Amino acid sequence: MTITTPDVGLTPSPPRLGPIAPPPSAWRRGAHAVSSFARRSPMSVVWGLIALAMVSMAIAAPVLAPYDPLKSNFRAMTKPPSAAHAFGTDQIGRDTLSRVIWGSRTSLTVAFFAVLLGTTVGALWGLACGFFGGRFDIASQRAIEFMQSFPDLVLAMAIAMALGAGTGTVIVAIAITRIPFGGRVIRSVALSLKELPFVEAARGLGASNLRLMFRHILPQCVAPFLILATTHLGVAIIIEASLGFLGVGIPPPTPTWGNMLSDALNSGLVPPWWLVLFPGLAITITVLAFNLLGDGIRDLLDPRLRGAV
Amino acid sequence: MFNYVMRRLLFGALTVVGVSIVVFVLMRILPGDPLVAIFGPEGFTKLTDQERAHYMAELGLSHPLWYQYLSWLDDIAHGNLGRSFFRSESVAEMILRRGPLTAQIAFLSVVLSWLVGIPIAILSALRPNTLADHLARLMSILFLAVPGFWLGMLIVLTLLFTFGYRAPLTGASIFTDPWTTLQMVIGPAIVLGLGQAAYIARMARSSLLEVVREDYVRTARAKGLNNRLVIAFHALPNALLPVITLSGVLLGFVLAGSIPVERAFGTPGLGYAMFTAVSERDVFVMQNLVFLYAVVFVLLNILVDIIIAWLDPRIRLR
Repeated sequence: MTITTPDVGLTPSPPRLGPIAPPPSAWRRGAHAVSSFARRSPMSVVWGLIALAMVSMAIAAPVLAPYDPLKSNFRAMTKPPSAAHAFGTDQIGRDTLSRVIWGSRTSLTVAFFAVLLGTTVGALWGLACGFFGGRFDIASQRAIEFMQSFPDLVLAMAIAMALGAGTGTVIVAIAITRIPFGGRVIRSVALSLKELPFVEAARGLGASNLRLMFRHILPQCVAPFLILATTHLGVAIIIEASLGFLGVGIPPPTPTWGNMLSDALNSGLVPPWWLVLFPGLAITITVLAFNLLGDGIRDLLDPRLRGAV
Repeated sequence: MFNYVMRRLLFGALTVVGVSIVVFVLMRILPGDPLVAIFGPEGFTKLTDQERAHYMAELGLSHPLWYQYLSWLDDIAHGNLGRSFFRSESVAEMILRRGPLTAQIAFLSVVLSWLVGIPIAILSALRPNTLADHLARLMSILFLAVPGFWLGMLIVLTLLFTFGYRAPLTGASIFTDPWTTLQMVIGPAIVLGLGQAAYIARMARSSLLEVVREDYVRTARAKGLNNRLVIAFHALPNALLPVITLSGVLLGFVLAGSIPVERAFGTPGLGYAMFTAVSERDVFVMQNLVFLYAVVFVLLNILVDIIIAWLDPRIRLR
């Protein structure tokens, strides 16, 4: 006699009988979600559009920037804003507007990949902790506690310094500081989910641990994951800027908002105001946009998490 | 209570040991020779192999890693934190000289954050969805997004251009010349305090909204007590418990946040020393400062837990 392993949903369900309305296309559903989101919180749509504008600015930097951000013009050094240079020029005659635009590319890339990497690693770790429990969980919680014994910025500084300057190292440094957050939130989600009847049912049908984790529990973690990731984008941008400002971020001449502020301060005792105002304004607007968009997404996906993440 | 405190301290000691290992590992995987940092790339190539070995031995870097780690712990236990590569002052002296300034900044910023955050929270919790509430929320959202060091640079520039004023960059201690010290400390404290006030206001608002719905508050009102008295003496003390916890956590972040902020203001505190160490890649100073920051952070968390347990019997009797 052979024992057949029960089928747990690998094969598609048989076609239903009788005429039924075709399910709405993915486009329709997406459009519906966006429109209901817009109706419920119009302000977060505004901030979402600003965030989108920032992202498009980063993507279209080569087209938008009026000058080469690395090329110095010795005829226009430390010039205040004018028609030719809307945001003025720096000490070696580079156009500040172009550098701010190119800076958005570096800052957003670093923040995006750092949050994606850190939250994903944290989420998978937390998933395993919550699912397996026991000694593995206890050891992991201790490790996470050690990581959280450092203020974010100090840990990021130490890692960035240890690994040496570069885009990759800054991403890794910020990502490591994001791991505990993903770990904690997803762990608690997994802890509460694994006791639910549907997981028990799947286990009874003979599903393996891996299958339970990735097929049944992971999909339920998507909403908290998205919320975490968007709320941490703003923090990541500020840490990146601080690292740049302290000289352990992405090294010059590549423009980032942080190292532009640092350059302004290095030039002498009194930095020209336009070199200070515009990069900082760019940071503030971007962080504000991502924070408020994150709040909106959180309210949309899971109102219960208000204030929790 | 005693048991609770002892247990917290024991866990704290364990965490500090773990933290010291993390710091040591981080500082020893530095790519590049510390000698390159000391002598510069050019000076480094001029050294003979013998001289290199000599300097490495002098810095204690030629021993195996476990020996280096243990001797570092031994040095810390004896209060001997080593010397900077570049300055004659020892790290311990530097911490003693610069630490008080940063501590004053941190303390003042916490006081400011409560002075700003709590009234905002009370205002917006008592009158939810009014103009005051919206303004308070907008402010707290805005303070979260503005990088402190940028705000600091703007403050320095504005004061300079409008009043021709610049805060003194060196000064005596708070005991001999409090006025100079206050001028050095107040700028960073305001910037860091506003950043914390945003969190404090958010937390206090939601906590107050919860407490106000409790039965005992209704009872107090039903007795005919003045609403202000009910809020001030019945609701607020309980609502402040989570705020105290948050404030302790934030204090740790303020110590980190003061690194870029002190650079922006040019304040010669511990944060500025950290900035100098990191930009000069001064490994030993960095190692000890990172460890110091982590230890202070851990101690603050323990202190907050103990204060909360002291205030709230439900926690210490668990």
